[in-house]
Order: sequence, then C-alpha cells, then structure tokens
Amino acid sequence: MKGKVMKTWTERWLRTVLRFYPRDFREEMGDDIVATYRAQCDRAWEGGGVASLVFVWLRALVDSARNGLAERVRPGIRWRRSGDWGRDGQLVLRRLVRAPVFLITMVGTLTAGLGGFAVVYTVVDRVLLAPLPYENADDLYYVWREYGWFDLDRGALSGPDVAQIGELDVIEHAVAVARRRSTISGSGTAEPREIDLATASAGFLQLLRAQPAVGRDFDASEHGPGRPLVVILGHELWRTQFHSDPSVVGREVRLDGDPATVIGVMGPEFRFLLHAGLGAPQTVDAFTSMDIDLGTADPFGGSHAGIIRVREGTPPAVVSEAVEAVGAAVNERVMDGRGLRLYPVQMKEDLVAPVRQPLMVLGAAGVLLLLVLLVNLATLLLARAAQREREFAVARALGANNVAIIRATLLEGGALGLLGGVGGALAAVWGARVLAAMAPLDLPRRQAIEVTPGIALTVIAIGALLGLLAGILPASWSARSRLDSLLGAASVRGGGGHGRLRRSMVVVQVALSLVLLSAGGLVARSFGQLLEADPGFEPGGALTMRIAVPQGLYTDAVPALHERIHETLASVPGVTHVGATTVLPLSSGTSQRSVSFPGAPGNTGDPDHDVQIVDRTHIRPGYFAAVGARMIAGSDLDDAPPEGVDQVVIDRTLAEQFYAGSDAVGATLMFGETPLRVVGVVEHIRLYDVHAEGYPQIYVRNGFDRLVSAMSWVIRTPRSPGPVYSEIGRALRTRDPELAISEAQPLAALVSDAVREQRMSATLIGGFALGALLLAAMGLFGVVAGSVTRRRHELAIRLALGADHRRVLRTVIGEGALLTGLGLLLGVPGIYVTGQIVRGVLVGVSPFDPVTLGAVSAGLATVALLACYLPARRVLKIAPAQSLRQE
Amino acid sequence: MMDRHRATQRFLPLRPVEFHVLLSLAAGERHGYSMLQDMETRGEASPPDVGTLYRALRRLEDQGLISGVRRRDVQREEERRNYFRLTQLGLEVARAEARRLEDLLRAARAEGLLQARPA
Repeated sequence: MKGKVMKTWTERWLRTVLRFYPRDFREEMGDDIVATYRAQCDRAWEGGGVASLVFVWLRALVDSARNGLAERVRPGIRWRRSGDWGRDGQLVLRRLVRAPVFLITMVGTLTAGLGGFAVVYTVVDRVLLAPLPYENADDLYYVWREYGWFDLDRGALSGPDVAQIGELDVIEHAVAVARRRSTISGSGTAEPREIDLATASAGFLQLLRAQPAVGRDFDASEHGPGRPLVVILGHELWRTQFHSDPSVVGREVRLDGDPATVIGVMGPEFRFLLHAGLGAPQTVDAFTSMDIDLGTADPFGGSHAGIIRVREGTPPAVVSEAVEAVGAAVNERVMDGRGLRLYPVQMKEDLVAPVRQPLMVLGAAGVLLLLVLLVNLATLLLARAAQREREFAVARALGANNVAIIRATLLEGGALGLLGGVGGALAAVWGARVLAAMAPLDLPRRQAIEVTPGIALTVIAIGALLGLLAGILPASWSARSRLDSLLGAASVRGGGGHGRLRRSMVVVQVALSLVLLSAGGLVARSFGQLLEADPGFEPGGALTMRIAVPQGLYTDAVPALHERIHETLASVPGVTHVGATTVLPLSSGTSQRSVSFPGAPGNTGDPDHDVQIVDRTHIRPGYFAAVGARMIAGSDLDDAPPEGVDQVVIDRTLAEQFYAGSDAVGATLMFGETPLRVVGVVEHIRLYDVHAEGYPQIYVRNGFDRLVSAMSWVIRTPRSPGPVYSEIGRALRTRDPELAISEAQPLAALVSDAVREQRMSATLIGGFALGALLLAAMGLFGVVAGSVTRRRHELAIRLALGADHRRVLRTVIGEGALLTGLGLLLGVPGIYVTGQIVRGVLVGVSPFDPVTLGAVSAGLATVALLACYLPARRVLKIAPAQSLRQE
Repeated sequence: MMDRHRATQRFLPLRPVEFHVLLSLAAGERHGYSMLQDMETRGEASPPDVGTLYRALRRLEDQGLISGVRRRDVQREEERRNYFRLTQLGLEVARAEARRLEDLLRAARAEGLLQARPA
C-alpha cells in the first residue's frame, strides 16, 4: 500500500520536473527518463527507505533543472560545435539559386534598403563623425565676439583681439583670417576669374600643420605693412586655371590687376573652410598674407575670423576660461564695459553646427529603415521556412541532423544579408555622389562625402548581421516543428504554426511604416511650405551673374564701366529690366550697420531699440524692378543722384518699426553721421533663408559710402538662359576683355539652392517611408494570401453551409484590417517620438500637424486594405463542392 | 580512406558519457537505463545524471553515431521505450576513441605515471 502511494507520487514528481526540458525533447526522451528514474527510485526505496527516496527525488530535480535548461539553449551551442559549414553553405546557395524570384526580390529589397541606409550613414560619418583633415584637429578652435548690446551671431574679431589671444599660455598659435573676392588673371591663365582669396596672418599653414605640395610657405618678411603681394594657390584653382602646371611657381599673375607672385600650390587633399558664419559657403581658392600688423590695427571693428591651436590636450574648459579673460579685458579697455565677450568653439563643432540636427534626423530615419528591413526579411524567411515545414519534419524523421536545419535557415538569412550588404555598398557609391550633388552648398566638407572602404565594410557587416538576426526567429521555429504535430494538422496548408508569429511581424511592419511615413509626411509638408513661402521677390524670369572688375585696371573708371555694363545688358534683345546689387537674395553675404531715425514716431527713447542693426546693401537704380520686389510706398532711387542729398530705400520691417501707421517716405535716416532721405519702402527681400526674415534692410546707392566694383547683375527676360548668357559674354568682352563673369544662374536657382537641405531630407525620408509602406503592404498581402490558402477548407464549408461570398470576403479582409489597426495603434507612440526628433527641422508645420498625420494614417490604411483585398478576392473563386471533394 | 579518417576524427575526443554509451552499445542494442547499469558494472565511480545521459543519447543520434528505435519494453508491455544501437560510423568513432585512449595510456606508462602492465 505504502509502496503504491510512493510510486504514484514519484511518477507525478518526475513528470513535473521533466517540464524543465523543451517539449520536443520531452516527447522523445521523457518516458525513458521517467522509467530510468523510476527504477532508481525503486531501488532507493527498497535499500534506504524514505530518506533515500527523497534524495533521488532531489537529484532528479537538480538534474532536470540543469540539463533541461542546457537543452533549451543547445541549438546555439550545437551550432558552434558540430556540422559541416562548407556543405551547408553550398546547400543554402543551391537552394537560393533554385528560387530566383525570391532571391532577386530579397536581394533587390536589401540592396535598395541598405543602399539608402549606407548613403545616410556615409553623410553622417563623413560630415559629423570623421575628424577634420588636420593633424590633432581637436586642438583647433574658432574664436568669436559676442556683443551684449546687439544681436550678432559669431561676430568677427579685431586684429588686437587675435594678437592678445596669441600671447596666452594655453595657445600654441593664433591667426586672423579674412576672406575677399579677387579677380585673378595674367600670363598662362584661362579667362579672368573671380576667386575667393583668404588673407591670413603669419603662421596660418603651420597652425593647420599643412605645407604647400609645390613651392613654399609664406616667409616671415612677407607679412605686415608694405609686404610684397605673394599668393599660394589651392589645388583646384591650380588645376582649372593653370592646367596643373608646376612651373607656375615663381611666375607673376595679376590679382585685381595688381602684380602678384605665385610662391606655392597646396596638395589635393588640403581643404580649408572658413566658418559659414551666416550661411554662405566659404570655400577658399587661394591664400595670401596680410598687409597689416595685427597688434596695432583698429581695436573696435571686427574684421577677421580668429583661429587658434591650443597646446596639445588642453581641456576645452581651460581654453574657454583663458579666451574669455582676454575678452573681459578688451571689454573694459576698448568697449567701456558695454558687454563684449570672446568665446572659442571647437572648429569641427562650429563647422557642423548648422547641419547637425538635419543629419541626426536623417540618421534616425536610416536606423528605422534598417528595422523595417529586418522585420521584412524575417517575415519572408519565416514564410519560406514554413513552405519547407514538411520537408524539414520528414527529413528529421528520416534521421537528418536537426542542427543542419537551423543552420540552413540562419545561413540563408546571413547569405541574403551579405549579398544585400554588398549590393547596398555598391549602390551607395553611386547614391553618395547623387546625394553630394543634392546636398546643401554650405554643407561642411561636401566634397568629402564618398563611400570609403571602411564604410563599405561596415555596411556589408550590418547586412550580414541583419540577415542572421532575421534568421533567428524562423530558425528557432523550424527547429522545433515535429512531424507528428504536422501530421496531426494534415488539413492545414500554406504554413502551420508560424501564423501568429508572422501576423505579429506584419503588425510591427505597419507600425514602423506609420512612424517613417509620418516623419516623411511632415518633412515633405515643411518642404512644400518653403516652396510656397514668399521670399519677397519674383524668382521666375530673371537671370543673375556676377561681373568682377579687376580694380587695378579700372581705378577711377568703375562708375563709367558700370554704366557701360548696364547699357550692354539692356541692349540684349528681350531684356526688360536691368539692375545690380552687391548682395543677391538668399546669399547671406551682407554686412550689418546700425541706423536711427531721429524724431520718428516709433522711437522709444531706449537707445538699444532706437539704434537698429540693419543689413546694408549697395544697389544700382532699377534693381527692385529687375529682381521683382514690390515697392510698398515711394519709388526706387533716382537714376541720377540728386545734388546735396543722399537717397535710401528701406524695407517694410524697418518702416513698420519706426513709422507704423504713418508714411516713411521723406523721412531722414541717420547712417552714422550722414543723413539719408528715405525715398521708398520695399517689401523685405529675404537674404538668408526662404522662410525667415533677417535683419531689417536698407538699400543705398553704390558709391554712397563706398564704391563696390564687383556687383551681381540681375536682368529680367522671358528668354531661356543659355543664349542670353552667351550673347552677354560676347557683348561685354568686346570692349572689356578683363571682365570676369561668374555665377551665371537663374534667380530661381538661388531659391532652389536655398532649400537644398530640406529637399534632401524630404527626398530621402520620403523615399524610405514609401519603401517601408511597400514592404508592409507586401507583408499584409502575404499574410492574407496565406490565410486564404490555409482556410480554404473552412471557407468552403462556410460557403456550403450558406454563407455568401461577400460575407466570407469580409471575414478574410477583417483579419488584415485588424492587423492594420493594431499596427496603427502600436505606431502612435512612435509618432510622438518622431515628432520630438524632427521638430527642429520643420518649418511652418507643427510636428503633430493633424492634417499631415491624418492624411498619412488614412493613406497607410488605404494601401493596407488594398493589400488585403487583392489576395482576399480569391475567396470569390472558391467553389465549395469542388474544394471539398478535393480534400 | 583519408575522408573516413577525417570523418571519425572530428568527433574526438568524446565526452566520458558518450564513450560509455558507445561502449555499451558495442555489445548490442540497449535502452538508457541498462546503459547506466553497464557503467556501474564497469566500475564507473561517478555515473552521469540521467538527464545528462539522455541528452548525450539525443546528441549522438543527431550526429549519426547511434540510431534509436521505439519499441515496447520487454518487461513493461504498456510502455514504449527508445532502444539504441551503434551505427557503422559510431562503431568507427568508438574504435578511434579507444585507440586514442590506448595511446594516452601508453604514454602515461612510458612517462612512469603508471606501472607497466605485468606481462
């Protein structure tokens, strides 16, 4: 009696502890294990009674826990320990080749997806992550001024500022750099050309640890007042203008008409970018020395960018402290304590600051795209494994190696990922070029955007890893499917136990698509707003060009030359208006001045308000008509300057500030000590961004306070640009062969260049989103199609029992609709996070814009339902009698 | 021949429990429990846990060294049990392992670790 109770309890206990093992192992070996332990228990009971029995029980518990868990993780361990890798690889390849459609679709998808990711990764890596191309670039800083009494982002330094910073202990070297445009011409050069020339104080190249590739650096005697004019050419200028002729070193060229000696040429890898300051690209074509002494220059005005190299490894905080101390001294001594501050910014950080946020958004979109690819690949591998479910089970029943099946699925994923990675890396080589062409012109190191071997390897590795990860789910599932369970579900076709897994992956796909689509929708909408924004001028039907005048040749004749150019342009057939300006719209190149309106109604008595910082632009009469800016009141400058009075046109924002509700025309504007009469009020012409107004503006006659010889000319004509430009070039050069015409482009191109960043983001993220949508739709299609096949029997019975086809169709579509709905719900938190990420790059659109998000969700739902409907239609073709007979 | 040699070599060395299993099966078909009894008979000081034994059996089966058959137990008719037998590959692997152990023993004697067996 007692023995029987013992046996019952032993049996129960052993069956319980057996649960540590995975099911398939239990089914195969469970009875044997129990029988063996039962025998041991019998022996223990007979030999030692209850105590011995309990001891065996405990051993069974510990044993099962240990071995059961070990067995559960065995697939991973066995993978490494056994098997024939080469043969498995061969098998996988052979199987892939035998399914060319699957192979091509999958590798194509992965190539496109990984290619997109690779392009984004390349940009982020080359622009944000890669170090600047200088030795110990972390020790390089820009130094800027900040004025406490007016708003000026990154003010330039004065000469003495730089000289004093250079004396600090922590500073190895400090230089001042200014940039100007000059015309280069002379022996051996092509047509005269306007170049960007950097004027740098002594030690500039040593600071960057660079050397000319040909020739030499500046000599100590070649700096300061009365220095000889010498120039070092950048590699690109040397190549295009001097046909890479090394004998140019030592030769004489003309800079703005003055003789200058070429002393060196920089190597192809040397790049120098002056900080973009207020937005314009600041590449440099050539370098010359400075003809002033920094220490004794004007201490008030800022006219140089300051660049410093600190002693190796000095922490940024120490640098800041030292530079700010100099700033405090300058503030006291020069600025009467009005609040001047000097601050350093690490060079790389400063250069990439404007693009950091858009690139981070792009990077986030790229990572999301990877997730989409991962889920998609896993879904398809699972479907493929499901097709071979029977084959696996039968093979295993016939004694095939279980591990081989797991390895096959994993290897299949890995091989696909690897192929896709290679394809993606190759596609990115081309894609990165396209992107670099699309990228904002002021993107730092735009030329450096290319796929390096390191990037290509990373992308390939990511592809392979993605494939392996995607293979894990189907692998673990296929390893556990057993023949008996399959035979038990003999009527099930088109995939068995994977249904739930596959459906949840579709839900995830829909959710990811929603997130990407909402980001894409917001960015695209923001881009649309930009295109619709009123920039204050009429971009269509106007052409622009810059005509540089070598000053040495036309010293006193510039006004007459400008008059001649004007006449020539006006005489070109089809030209209706001609104007000229020193600064074209959206080109960010103005300088700021402060002005006031004594006695204006808008004055408050507070000098910080009444003295206004404005953008000052020099123009020729006729500019507003040519550029298509609307005059709000009054008129343009008179063609001929009237005697004894200087004229000015102000913009709407300035008029509103000082003459709100009254007429500004006729008022007097104080430009320093000089009075100017306001003759007109013009719409604000956006100088920086399409979407944001900058400082208020004043427009003065060229030659009023200084005569600018190189102007940008704007002509209005309905003709197409090509022939007009060539006619202009011919007409101008017949009389003045030394004129350098550059930047010939339609005004509309300026607008289009100004929104490059947004266009790039919109195109990339929009493309990613559409790709994700397509993949999600494919996933849904597959699930519903599989479901129809699998439920054919059941559906046939329903139909036979009197349900009509519509109703059955609804049932099937309902399944897909449910998945879509779940996916949308799951995506909602994702939309919130996305909104936070893209917020900073949106213009004129809230990150939670209900219209955009609503449209995106509705669009996604429509596509999803369509993807359900198409395969579900097959239900209509079911003929119940026939279907059931086949079973 | 070379291939065959390589085919057996990649299983070596066997774990003690695996060698015991092959050793038992060399004498004929067995089920798990009787293998444990064999080990005790052979004087194995620390026989493996039951779970360890059955996992080894499944592993060896997966590797093709043994093959299993489900049959009714001779004593308990109501139960079906797995009976295992050696495959040709298993036999060769067992021999290879035995030779490997023999070589080790010879080395141990040569180094004076063990007394030479009396002739």
